[in-house]
Amino acid sequence: MATGAQIEDAVLDLLRSRAPLAGNGALPADLRLGAGGLGLDSIAMVELLLDCERRFGVPAAGLLEGAPLTVGRLIAHARAAVPQ
Amino acid sequence: MSWPRRTFDILERGLAPLVARYPRMAVPAASGLGALRNRLSSRWPSPEQVQILFPHLAPGAAARVAWKIGALEARNRLLVDAIRRHGLEPARRLMRPASEAFAALRPPLILGTFHVGAVQALGAAVERLPGPVLVLRLGALYSPSPPVEILSTEGDDQSRALAFQRALYHLKEGGFVVLALDGFPGPGLRVPCLGRTLELARGPFALARLTGAPLVPLVARWRQSEVEAEVAAALGGTEGGMEEGALAASATRWLEGYLMAAPEEIGLGLVRALLTPPPAAR
Repeated sequence: MATGAQIEDAVLDLLRSRAPLAGNGALPADLRLGAGGLGLDSIAMVELLLDCERRFGVPAAGLLEGAPLTVGRLIAHARAAVPQ
Repeated sequence: MSWPRRTFDILERGLAPLVARYPRMAVPAASGLGALRNRLSSRWPSPEQVQILFPHLAPGAAARVAWKIGALEARNRLLVDAIRRHGLEPARRLMRPASEAFAALRPPLILGTFHVGAVQALGAAVERLPGPVLVLRLGALYSPSPPVEILSTEGDDQSRALAFQRALYHLKEGGFVVLALDGFPGPGLRVPCLGRTLELARGPFALARLTGAPLVPLVARWRQSEVEAEVAAALGGTEGGMEEGALAASATRWLEGYLMAAPEEIGLGLVRALLTPPPAAR
């Protein structure tokens, strides 16, 4: 069992390991992972989702479809998938 | 001199309706037109451009290679036009039976193509693969039939990420993924090739690294009025995947060997890519 805050911290750690632009400060929930946001290219974006799959044990297949992938969407996906 | 160009364009367009029914007439005619066009213009490519990439060729031999590249481009234009009009059927009719090496391909496997030879005919080759095939490319010339699916890599970072993710899952589920190693927009892996620098797409090599699937270079070569698919030995395929740069260098060494043996197979797009310095070096 993990708390929502612990899951958020784990997601942000994974994000910072892939996105040098993320820095150590707070990240707005609507910040995009790709161009105009954290600047991840397509391969880095998928590698980040693979990191999340391995860390939380849940597939991230649908996250790239539809709305832009943001920090908030990634955290919400992990929170929804992990028992709290 | 625009009139010869227009005349050649008109003559080529006249051949397009014939290629589906009379390939043995239309393909050699297109070759002849393409070679003559190159010979008259000494352009696309010029013999000098050929000699930069293949300095071992004497001027006369470089000129003959340039004519043959002109012929190759004309055949390819004809084939693209036929595929746009009739779907993949004209390419199927031109494709020779699969070689033993091609028939032995088994998934999960990444097939990496280069813009050499009859690249647009490869759609007719990959539909013979024994398993589901996902083709990643910029746009689509035709609507494929199962087990082949074409996924366009057009769009923003997230669209490309989605295509990349689909390819990754497709390999993990035991399928074939087909995609071009060269001729793509954006930064990639720079590798030496024919004394110049070639920029390759990172995606195919990252797929190999992340899945451990081998990468096999795949090209198609015109044989008179027919097309033959050729595959190289598998590269990579190691536990944990191979480093991207090393894999890209291996693929390019194979391409170099292929083109040194048959310089007339180099596509005009690849000639231009090699002769145009990458952005940072300009």
